[in-house]
Amino acid sequence: MADPPLYPDSNSDTGDDTRVRPPSTPRWVKVFGIIVIVVVLLVGIILITGVGGPHGPGRHIPSGDAVETPSGDPGGYTPPIEHGVQQP
Amino acid sequence: MIMTPGLRKFALTVHLTFSVGWIGTVVAYLGLGVAAWTSQDVQTVRAAWIAMELIGWYVIVPLAFASLFTGLVMSLGTAWGLFRHYWVLFSLVLTILAAVVLLLHMPTVSFLADVAQEADGADLGGLGGDLLHPGVGLLVLLVIQVLNVYKPRGLTPYGWRKQQEQRTVSQP
Repeated sequence: MADPPLYPDSNSDTGDDTRVRPPSTPRWVKVFGIIVIVVVLLVGIILITGVGGPHGPGRHIPSGDAVETPSGDPGGYTPPIEHGVQQP
Repeated sequence: MIMTPGLRKFALTVHLTFSVGWIGTVVAYLGLGVAAWTSQDVQTVRAAWIAMELIGWYVIVPLAFASLFTGLVMSLGTAWGLFRHYWVLFSLVLTILAAVVLLLHMPTVSFLADVAQEADGADLGGLGGDLLHPGVGLLVLLVIQVLNVYKPRGLTPYGWRKQQEQRTVSQP
C-alpha cells in the first residue's frame, strides 16, 4: 500500500511540485534545541545565583587569600609573553 | 560563490586540520589540568599552569578561530550554505559559543598562571586544576564533530525557500 502523499495539495502526478509550506522541523532538531536551551539556562542560573560557588579566579584561590596574588585585573587580556619579559 | 572541487577539497582539509587540532589541544590542556589538580609536586603544579596558559593563548585560541573561519568558508563556498541546514546552523552556534567562552576564560587562566609563578610552594595546593571549562568545551566540540560527520537531515525554512527558488529557476 502506497503511503499517502505528504502534501495533499501537491500535483505529484504531473511532476509539478506545488508545495508552498516548508517541511516540519525534524525531531532531532527539536530535541537538540531543547537540550541546548536547557543547558544555557542552567549555566545562566548557576552563574547568577552563585549556587556552584564563585566563578573565575576566586574559585581557585582560598578565601583567606594566603596566596600572594599578582597585581592586575584578572578579567583583562594578559598575554603570556608580557610577563615573561626579562627586566634589566 | 561555490568553490571548485579541487579548492573545496583543499579547504576541507584545512578546516579538518584546524578543527581536529582544536579538539586534540583541548585534550592536552585537560591532561595538564588534571596534573595541576592531582599532583602534590610544587614544580609540576607550577609548570602545568604555565603550560596551560601558553597552550591556551598560543595554540587553542588560534585553532578555535581558524576553525571558525574555515568553517564559514566551507559553508559559504559550498551548496550547504550557512543557514540552510540545521546541522550547519547548530555547528556554527556551538562553535561561536565555544570560542567566546574560551576567550572569556583565558584571562582567568593567565591570572592563575601568574599566581602559580609567584606563590610559595605551600600555597599552590589550593590552586587546583582546570577541568570544568575544558571538559565541557571538549564535549561541545565532540558534538560539533558528530554533527559534521553525520550531517543529519533537516532544512531550515530559509534553506527550503532557497531550494524552491532553485527548482523554479531550473524548471522554467
